[in-house]
Amino acid sequence: MTNTNRWARRSAAAVAAAGVTALVLAGCTTGGTEGGDDAAEGGTITVAVTNEVTSLNGSTPQGNLDTNGMVGYLTGTTGSSGGASLGGFYTLDEEFNIVHNDNIGTYEKTADDPLTVEYKLNDGLKWSDGEDITADDLLVGWAIGSGYYNDATLDEATGEPTSGTQYFQLAGSTDGLDTTAMPEISEDGLGLTLVYGEPFVDWELGNLLDKPAHVLAEQAGVTEEEFIQVLMDTPKGDPANPVEPNETLKAAADFWNTGYDFTSMPTDESLLVASGPFIMSDYTPNQSMTFSKNPEYTGEDVPAYDELVLRFVPDANAQVTALQNGEVNAIYPQASADTLTALENANQTVIEGDQLSYDHLDLNFGSEVFADANVREAFLKTIPRQQILESIITPINPSAEVLNSQIFVPANTEYTDAVAASGYDAYAEPDIEGAKELLAGATPTIRILYNTDNPNRVDSFQAIQASATEAGFIIEDAGSPDWSSLLPGGEYDASIFGWISPGAGNSALAQIFKTAGGGNYNKYSNAEVDEMVDAAQTELDPEALGQLKVQIDAATAADFYGLPLFQSPGLFATNGTVDGIEFFGNQTGIVWNAQDWTIAE
Amino acid sequence: MASFILRRIAVSVLILLAASFIMYVLAANSGDPLRDLRGGNPATEAQLIAARTAALDLDVPAPLRWFLWLGGAAQCLIPFANSCDLGLTLNNAEVATILPSAMLSTLQLVTVATLSAILLGVVVGIVTALRQYSGFDLTITFVSFFLFSLPSFLVAVLLKEFIAIGFNNFLQQGGAIPAVTVIVIAIVAGLIWQVLIGGPLRRRLTVFAISAVATGVVLGYMAVSEWFQNPGLGPVGILVGVAVVAIVTTLLVSGLGNRRALTTAGISAALAFVAYFALQGLFDISSVWTLLFVFLATVVVGLAIGWLLGGPDRGQSMRAGAITIGVSMVLVFLDRFMQSWPDYVNSSRINGRPIATIGSQTPGFNGDVWLTGIDSFTHLLLPTIALLLISFAQYTRYARAGLLEVLNQDYIRTARAKGLPERTVVMRHAFRNMLIPIATIVATDVGALLGGAVITERVFAISGMGNLFATSLGRTDLNPVMGYFLVIAIVAITFNFLADLAYAALDPRVRVR
Amino acid sequence: MSVNIQLGVPTQPEPEDRPDAVVGKSQGRLIFERFLQNRISVVSLVLFVLVIVFAFSATGFGPIPGWWKHSFTSLNAQAGAPSLSLWPFSLGDHPFGQNRIGVDYFALVMRGIQNSVIVMLVIGGLGTVVGTVIGAIAGYYRGWVDAVLMRITDVFIVIPAIVIGAVVGQTAGSSGLGVWVLSILLALVSWMSIARLVRAEFLSLREREFVEAARVAGASDMRIIFKHILPNAVGVVIVSATLLAASAILLETGLSYLGYGIRPPESSLGLLISDNQSAFSTRPWLYWWPALFIVGLALLVNFVGDGLRDAFDPRQKRFKRRKMREITDTVAKRS
Repeated sequence: MTNTNRWARRSAAAVAAAGVTALVLAGCTTGGTEGGDDAAEGGTITVAVTNEVTSLNGSTPQGNLDTNGMVGYLTGTTGSSGGASLGGFYTLDEEFNIVHNDNIGTYEKTADDPLTVEYKLNDGLKWSDGEDITADDLLVGWAIGSGYYNDATLDEATGEPTSGTQYFQLAGSTDGLDTTAMPEISEDGLGLTLVYGEPFVDWELGNLLDKPAHVLAEQAGVTEEEFIQVLMDTPKGDPANPVEPNETLKAAADFWNTGYDFTSMPTDESLLVASGPFIMSDYTPNQSMTFSKNPEYTGEDVPAYDELVLRFVPDANAQVTALQNGEVNAIYPQASADTLTALENANQTVIEGDQLSYDHLDLNFGSEVFADANVREAFLKTIPRQQILESIITPINPSAEVLNSQIFVPANTEYTDAVAASGYDAYAEPDIEGAKELLAGATPTIRILYNTDNPNRVDSFQAIQASATEAGFIIEDAGSPDWSSLLPGGEYDASIFGWISPGAGNSALAQIFKTAGGGNYNKYSNAEVDEMVDAAQTELDPEALGQLKVQIDAATAADFYGLPLFQSPGLFATNGTVDGIEFFGNQTGIVWNAQDWTIAE
Repeated sequence: MASFILRRIAVSVLILLAASFIMYVLAANSGDPLRDLRGGNPATEAQLIAARTAALDLDVPAPLRWFLWLGGAAQCLIPFANSCDLGLTLNNAEVATILPSAMLSTLQLVTVATLSAILLGVVVGIVTALRQYSGFDLTITFVSFFLFSLPSFLVAVLLKEFIAIGFNNFLQQGGAIPAVTVIVIAIVAGLIWQVLIGGPLRRRLTVFAISAVATGVVLGYMAVSEWFQNPGLGPVGILVGVAVVAIVTTLLVSGLGNRRALTTAGISAALAFVAYFALQGLFDISSVWTLLFVFLATVVVGLAIGWLLGGPDRGQSMRAGAITIGVSMVLVFLDRFMQSWPDYVNSSRINGRPIATIGSQTPGFNGDVWLTGIDSFTHLLLPTIALLLISFAQYTRYARAGLLEVLNQDYIRTARAKGLPERTVVMRHAFRNMLIPIATIVATDVGALLGGAVITERVFAISGMGNLFATSLGRTDLNPVMGYFLVIAIVAITFNFLADLAYAALDPRVRVR
Repeated sequence: MSVNIQLGVPTQPEPEDRPDAVVGKSQGRLIFERFLQNRISVVSLVLFVLVIVFAFSATGFGPIPGWWKHSFTSLNAQAGAPSLSLWPFSLGDHPFGQNRIGVDYFALVMRGIQNSVIVMLVIGGLGTVVGTVIGAIAGYYRGWVDAVLMRITDVFIVIPAIVIGAVVGQTAGSSGLGVWVLSILLALVSWMSIARLVRAEFLSLREREFVEAARVAGASDMRIIFKHILPNAVGVVIVSATLLAASAILLETGLSYLGYGIRPPESSLGLLISDNQSAFSTRPWLYWWPALFIVGLALLVNFVGDGLRDAFDPRQKRFKRRKMREITDTVAKRS
């Protein structure tokens, strides 16, 4: 009895256990194998880049970072502040000439006085979510880029508006577009005409395709029609008479300002809406971002492969190893001689060129020691520019030359004229004797500010220190990792740092050379130069503009402004699995012709 | 006991608070969080600085700001409320949202490294102690000193250059092993085995010959049969494997003299062998949870067999059964992973070069549990090795020293004197006491490994917590630094706490007050 | 409750335990003799001192000029690869080669050794002093003093060395302070393990008869701590000081690698590796020279520490070969 009972209980327990097992197993199995990965037929190209993506809007101050710019370029919603893109009105070629992008539309200057520009979208264009791209979208792009509705008065010290409202926060400036009147939209709803209040040199950089109107409208809680009506009805902002902010406009602007920043794959798909050939399809934080083809894109820049993956690898060596190991197809590392040699030793294909940034030595016109022009000249005479170039740049780019202009790079046609006018080429080798003569026995103390975290700057400093000491200067090391915060302060006599130029446009002139310009850290002031800079901002004739810039270059050189040192080198590399990679020197970097790449057989 | 635990927890919380305060103030004063904004575009500079100051309360002095931070962090304690507020990064991202994904890869890395380091370190430490002053002992002593002295980034770079690229090249070139390499490996294996087995010269020679030849033949066969391209244990491999597992387990747990334990282990092994055939269909549709469940279920079965057959000394049989079947199932899983290996290697995203040098997964790679498992393995293999080598050295040293110390104790002499077999002396009496110091080391070592991960993650471009900490600190990005600190401090405190408990469990002299 | 048993550094053996005590030599003498018997450790100590003297004399220290012809800051005409040749032996102009911009690498490495050794010695020395004092006071007074000091220790021990080191290094670096400040700051966050060990030692030593005798004789607490107990705990202190020094050099290299340690234009071994890691496959000497010295210095210190440990506590060695053979035989018989 007891025996059978025990067995009965045991078998019941066994059956129960089996049942539970079956249930659990059913609950936690998958539907079946997918048989490996789901890589599509056309293949994937993976590129290692240095920095992370932080935002799908690279036009805001916090989003204005190089990799965000690449994303904007590929997906095509950069706006006038973000610049060239595959899904906007223009792109740049190798020489940084503006190329109108026929895939999206056309734009041209129809009158000089007043400056009038007509934009015309191609018929039948669609956003990646299937909505039509219309002149409404251009109007939104204009509203963002012109700052038309802003009536804020900004506090000089804090930047906080003391009155009024600042709607869209731009990394760039609203210069040029801020003089335009409310544009007119054409009958067919595809064209838009802009009339400038005064001539504007960079009118061609006015890319009016920004984030989609329907997405911003939705985020502001209104329909697209209502949103456009708000844009048309709201009067131009006047900082002198600030009014209550427009709620709809404010909501849309707030979303544009911060809503596109992300740290994980956005759940709201409207953020991803693209006009270019690529659309973001996947994102793993800190690791990679995947782009696939935009199904609605009708232009010619359709890639011959299915997916483009950007992998974020900060360390140049890790990039080289990963390339060598086939984990990535191409890399875009920080250029250094060792990276180059490592790539060559590993038999990888290296694509080199000059970047649109250059290191330069500026003399502080606010410091006492340089009040005397002779001291300035003497100091410049001691700078061993050729030696600096040879120790820093030549190992990476054997054909590199000393840069002899503050405004042009050798790729520009005006470069030769500029060098002839400025005479910077006379400063290639140090002239210690000449410097000693000018100093006439004086031993001025020079504090040099530079970034101690940047090896190139440290090397430049050491070379300058060694050479200037020979002529009798006493060089004090004022370098600091916090150099950038010390730069506007003026507690130094000379500074070594770099400017980065977007490649096209002339906004830098006023910033750097004009009295009290925003980037004029060395307190340079010359009334003649100020006048020329102002004239350049409204010069529509390219020829005359070039002449003006050559003159500005020469005038600053005559004041012993400082010396350009070298153009920073850049390099891409591939392990031969991708064809069509070509060098490009601005911040878009390696992906600038991603639409033309092919997977090698 | 309960009051002890409560008091311990209260003290831990106080320690955590004090440490976080120190960390907060130190990190806040380590640099300027606005540095990247200064000297930028002047039109937006002031505006950006104002915005960041407002978002991060930078106008509040650091010691006071700590209370603000604490207020947000305290909300993490509310269960299921999802109201965790660890502040924003400089890029306006919520720390509470970026931390979990970063935590995952770091904890994965550190857990695997810790477990392997303890296992390897203790085993090697015991062997070196039992074979004190042998060639093996001296070699390991030297190697561990060497590892102690090796910066981890150096190891990492070497692993990448030689192991990853070397092994991938080897695979791509068809997996042929040069005869010289086979012979060298065979001789080294022979040397190691003869030291481990020991005994008189003649026996050592025999052991050397047998193990060297066996190693050579197996390696040669693997090369010829392209095993590295299509790895797998196969039914024969599994059979041999489970048999060895059963015998070794019984040997260590109870000695082969205990027939009941041996039978239990044998049946468990046989069941695992049957499972190998029976479960292949289930494996094809498995998720991680299925595998976990299968594993636990088989261990329960092993325990049950031991309980049924154990007789008077049930504990030993149950242990033998559970360990045997557990390890055997691991072999079965391993075989299934190996079956998926060719699919993985030939997948279009891998292109025949499986061992990775960057990241913790292949972007966009999808597949079943086996393929993604392999993907994690190939990515985490090298960083884990780089991380574990240093603590491996430490465990070896401590295990060796600990066992030597214990073996000199009077009670061991007594145990030997009363004629207990050496296995019982070592496994029963010495081993347990040797583990006491190891328990304390684990607690401090976990902290050291979490710190070490900072460097390892940097070298391998893994976006874990360590990387988050290192980059954030460079920008004086306080909130992610504190988020990182919070996690590692909690882990460290927890492990210290567990070590104390383990201590009490292992050493009856330590009264838990 | 906190548990403090460290087997790697076992507790001080009682004098009467020691068979050689009957010879009548002083304890210090015995330890010294035992240390001398350990050839590897003696050789390591000698080598370690030689490397330090060599490095400090080569590039000079402070106002004292060194004997090496190149300075670690001046640029030379670029020649590149090391000119050192072992057979026939000749140094050449740049025995260790030159870095990217033509600075003599031998001078840089020697300067790096100097700074790394300074960090190591300051952390090892200052950290040991702080740890010993805190541990001694906590262990001697027990009660609330002990509780407070040990909780403070717990607070610092919660944060991994490299993490707090990075924070401290970042502070020292961004305020432009030099290697001395950096190493003193690092020392102030590296004393915890020694404090724990010394406390455990004091807890047991304070119960001994000789302490009781001193107390009865009317000695002050300070006198008992420093004259009576501390000399008996010196083994633990010295051994852990060497271990701390060995880990300090790795801490410094790790921090410099992450960019939170010593900063250019100063030089340190970790910084040199970090700067030149991209040169790993192209100009390997830039990588291997500092690596060699980091591993070498750490290895030497570890060996010295190991010798000291054996000298202070010879018990581990008493596990004799004969006995071991017995065990192996029994294992063999059984299996």
